[in-house]
Amino acid sequence: MQPGIAKLPHLFQPGRFGRFEIKNRIKYGACCVSNYNTRDGFITEREIARMRVIARTGCGIITNQGAYPDPLGEGKAYFRQVAIFDDKFLPQLERIAADIKAQGAMPIQQILHAGRYGGIDLGYCIQPSDVPQTLPHFRPPKVMTKDEIRDCVRQHADAARRAVRAGFDGTEVTSFMGYLLANFNSRFTNQRTDEYGGSIENRGRFMRELIDGIKQATPENPLVVRLNGAELMDRWGGNTEDECFELMRQAVDVGVDMISVTVGWQEAPESSIGRDIPPGYWNYLSARAKKLFPDTLVTFGNRLPDPRMADDCVRDGVFDYWEVCRPLLADPDLIHKAAEDRLDEVRRCIGSLNCLSRLFRDLPYTCTMNPALGHEVEPEYQVTPATVKKKVMVIGAGPAGMECAITAAKRGHDVTVFDKAGRIGGNLYAYATNDLARPDDLLSVVAHYEVVARKLGIDVRLNTEVHAKFMRSVLHQYDVCVIAAGATLDRKRYAHVKGAERMLDGLEVAHGRGQTGRRVVIVGGGKLGLTLAESLCKHQGAEVTVIESDKRIAGDVKPSFKWRHASWVEELGIKCLTSSTIVEVGADGVRVRNAKGEETFLAADTVVQADGATPAHPLFHEFEWMVDELHGVGDALIPRGLEQAIQDGFRLGVRL
Amino acid sequence: MTPLTAAATPDRRPTHGSRVGLLPSVESWLAAASHHGELFAQLDTGVRIALLARAAPERMLVWEAGHAGVDARIEPFAGYAASAADMVLAADDASLAELRSAAAGRLFEVLRAGIRSGRIVCYTLRRRCVLEERGLDELLDALGYAFMGACR
Repeated sequence: MQPGIAKLPHLFQPGRFGRFEIKNRIKYGACCVSNYNTRDGFITEREIARMRVIARTGCGIITNQGAYPDPLGEGKAYFRQVAIFDDKFLPQLERIAADIKAQGAMPIQQILHAGRYGGIDLGYCIQPSDVPQTLPHFRPPKVMTKDEIRDCVRQHADAARRAVRAGFDGTEVTSFMGYLLANFNSRFTNQRTDEYGGSIENRGRFMRELIDGIKQATPENPLVVRLNGAELMDRWGGNTEDECFELMRQAVDVGVDMISVTVGWQEAPESSIGRDIPPGYWNYLSARAKKLFPDTLVTFGNRLPDPRMADDCVRDGVFDYWEVCRPLLADPDLIHKAAEDRLDEVRRCIGSLNCLSRLFRDLPYTCTMNPALGHEVEPEYQVTPATVKKKVMVIGAGPAGMECAITAAKRGHDVTVFDKAGRIGGNLYAYATNDLARPDDLLSVVAHYEVVARKLGIDVRLNTEVHAKFMRSVLHQYDVCVIAAGATLDRKRYAHVKGAERMLDGLEVAHGRGQTGRRVVIVGGGKLGLTLAESLCKHQGAEVTVIESDKRIAGDVKPSFKWRHASWVEELGIKCLTSSTIVEVGADGVRVRNAKGEETFLAADTVVQADGATPAHPLFHEFEWMVDELHGVGDALIPRGLEQAIQDGFRLGVRL
Repeated sequence: MTPLTAAATPDRRPTHGSRVGLLPSVESWLAAASHHGELFAQLDTGVRIALLARAAPERMLVWEAGHAGVDARIEPFAGYAASAADMVLAADDASLAELRSAAAGRLFEVLRAGIRSGRIVCYTLRRRCVLEERGLDELLDALGYAFMGACR
């Protein structure tokens, strides 16, 4: 037995689903679609290559991403979503089912009719009732007639039959996160007055007919239904948790084989799966489902990224199967590492939701932590032994530098990393220590680099600044130099402002190297400025004002996290002056000018510059005649963010 | 550009009925639009923003941008699609009370807080790109659309 399996005996114990033996208690959940496919629903080679990687993750059950079941595309939520409304889609579906089976897993096909969030290629979406959107991304509603409801049930049954013909052993229908099934179940979106609306019994009718239709179409194959344990829509008139569980009971009563407990809707006014939700937070919902329905299999995994926690949950009867998706996108070897007792090497999902937020920009999903995701079919993204082994020096132990160093070392290069700081992590470390969401997530990235660098034998020389003199001292010792020194703040940006020299450097403050007073003015309302403002306010009780020259704050923040900063700013009472610039910095405050040219004085003990990130271009000019190959990655090239730093570092590492 | 006007329009009706009494007055709604003129300045002619009582949506209080400026009026509510509104704010009774007292001052602060807390549901009847084309960009921002967004 592998050492990790002995430590996680409940997670790795075999199970059963319908007539199928399952090798462990892990279900790969189709939590989001990839957008890798053709516009008309055909699976591409890119998708097949990705699914081949998923097939090898070691999960006992693997759910293929949601396919829309109707020819009009009313159920289609995503730009390049897979379809399953016709036999013409069978050949590629067959390949995926076969790839999953070849790895000893049970393949399940998810059928995803997006309802309220569907009709992406149409001018409308279909719903039980005329309830307009609250997110203007989605299409205006068209109410389903009873005939259309019957057609829809038939389409689901046909899709299930087709999935089984393709080789899938079971099917899944999903209400997560606010799709058609949820729209019928919910009081918020179902305001019908016929037998499909009104009472909870009536609202659940569509679900019961759906389950019954699919079960009749595929009686030998088990069916999973993904149902909300909490919609988080109750404040808008949606279902309470009690109603959610009553709907689960209805599903159980009509013979569903497994319930996947989920949380939240796309438009829910609060977080469900983001980084600000602590792991394990929603487990009580699954525990309630398991307690209420002991004879029905329950699977769960929302914001539960840790296999050790999952093992405890299986042991304690919180669920039967750990449903995991995003952690396997971040590290497809997660389960193997768990089995081999190498969890310290896992590249953890940090809950940035980069994957999901890109889908609503009609882009293929990517992973902040896994640069190879979606590029599995491209040889250029494979970590292969280097033809020529080189001595590589990497300047900077931030994410870009460490990613490059680790990838290069895996390929056989001899890598040395230099950093002027006393620890690995670069500016990510500073962000992590000031992060109000969950510092542990960002710090896990740093910890991952420390562990893997050590295991790969990468020589990391901390407290070592690389400058021209140093470079001359190591001349001809390295074949390659990678500048990954990160960004600094352009301190000349405010040279024209009287007293600008009084301002502290925001990065220095973030690293804990600058003392701030009680009243703080932060110049720059981007990622750095807001993170600092929130941290100073929350942890030091400072009164903070943010000055932003743009019309809005959070300009450089990822779309999936903008709302979080906006929310913190409001909760913490941070004052933001937008379309404003500083005019003068004095000993007791700053003068600020707004877009109308009006000037005001803000009393402040400390003024912090948090904008003007600038790349490390001078190092390129200094070093270009000192080494054979000179490259740059991450913020040292163009200041952006964590994802781009990791992507840059990896892409360079695989081609050195 | 849409200039603001407080001129009465023939179809403006008095507030009456059990629920409609909870809506702010037409006059205060006009004054609010005037007070926050910068949010309404770019609205295309014909843009309509409706407020109604969530518990009994019989009447709606509408801001409508016209050639002569932003007008306010009470109209019957015959369903979302029939409302011809770009956005509909459906508020609970407590929020309506707050809106009535805030109409002259911190109206958008109250609206934003109500939307965030879930006490006001902000329905958008057009896609974001259309809303922005119709000049609702600033208004969306004032209503706290940075708080909105899929996948959290």
